[in-house]
Amino acid sequence: MRGAFLAYMDEHFRAFSFVDRITSLPTRSVIQGEYVVPADVQAFPASLVAEAVGQLAAWAAMAVTEFKRRPVAGLAERIELLAPVTPGQILELGATLDSVDDETVAYHGIAHADGTPVIRLQNCLGPMLALEEFDSPDMLRNRFALLCGPGAAPGAFQGLPRIEFERTPSDTGQRARASLRVPNSAAFFADHFPRHPVFPGSLLMDANLRLVASLAAEIPTPADSGAWRLGEVLDVKLRTFIPPGATLELDANLSERSNARALVSIVTRNGGKLVGSARAVLSTTKCE
Amino acid sequence: MNITRDDIMTIFPKVAETMASALACDKERVTLEASLIDDLGAESIDFLDIVFRLERAFKVKIPRGKILEEARGDLSESEFEKGGEVTEAGADRLKSFLSEVSPERFKAPLKVADIPRLFTVETFCKVVIRQQRVAVPAMSVQTS
Repeated sequence: MRGAFLAYMDEHFRAFSFVDRITSLPTRSVIQGEYVVPADVQAFPASLVAEAVGQLAAWAAMAVTEFKRRPVAGLAERIELLAPVTPGQILELGATLDSVDDETVAYHGIAHADGTPVIRLQNCLGPMLALEEFDSPDMLRNRFALLCGPGAAPGAFQGLPRIEFERTPSDTGQRARASLRVPNSAAFFADHFPRHPVFPGSLLMDANLRLVASLAAEIPTPADSGAWRLGEVLDVKLRTFIPPGATLELDANLSERSNARALVSIVTRNGGKLVGSARAVLSTTKCE
Repeated sequence: MNITRDDIMTIFPKVAETMASALACDKERVTLEASLIDDLGAESIDFLDIVFRLERAFKVKIPRGKILEEARGDLSESEFEKGGEVTEAGADRLKSFLSEVSPERFKAPLKVADIPRLFTVETFCKVVIRQQRVAVPAMSVQTS
């Protein structure tokens, strides 16, 4: 399988990298950066904006450990989806490390687009693992120097392959289940991560949020309200790495509902084993 | 450090609520005796989650590896474990430190990697109480 990734070797720092420049690193725990969403990509979903904030925090955490350790996706207590991002916009990213050591990084962060907050991540936690198992420490050090200096040329990201799930029969308006086949090879695996390709947690989140959106479209809305809208994602937890080629079972279940708010529990399994979970909060707005 | 039953029961409801949230299970399943791994299905990421939530819920700092470090006490690493297995002296120390764990759960030989399998909800209650009684150490991140 490794041979399949050789075709994508030049995708390192291109296919799944969402920080173009580190604009400020006043202390080792506070970092700001920016990313230009290429104008020619079809879309830039909220999960990739969250990924960008996470990657910025990762740069700070790796620098603290002198590129011996790197964080991987783990937990996010709350992700507020504040506004959509459109291709061509410039993301201003900010992250603060609440703590970091060789085992764990805790951080929070936010992204703005054109001065408007678009996503906020609260109480995120990532296991810190041996960096050299995932990537070349020297290449990451050089990349960090580039980002802290003139920055990388924007526009490297060419979008993502369509990773569609297939709905399986379930209770309409109550539960949405689907099967998702992770590709065996894709450009993003060469960047995430070159020495240990895994399906990014943010792409799993994207698939799950699309499933939640399809469930939300089936949930009846109160008479005086508009459609259900996804406002935040709580208790995101990625339990294990997802390898290329895995077939995932996605399951979104409406667990609570009132007039203005609905809560959807999301679980993802790989061969029956729980690999991820989260809760999505839907809300309605009153019609005038 | 003497920890009484009353001390434990004082914080248990909040610990149980915190663990139930982290493990997405019913609070009723989170008993003092429940093993986090064997009874509640916790995995390594859940331990991180639980520690993180307990830190915020109780406003304490729980350094990673704190339980093992305290269990080892003044035993050196080589006195505590050899080749990934807990020594006899180490096992005695563990049994004394993890007094809430029933003796039959200590299998011999005990692998160091399997020690977290012994941890119960009460183990974490005791960690929280100990950390409440010590000064909060500085954050591990160096900010200068």
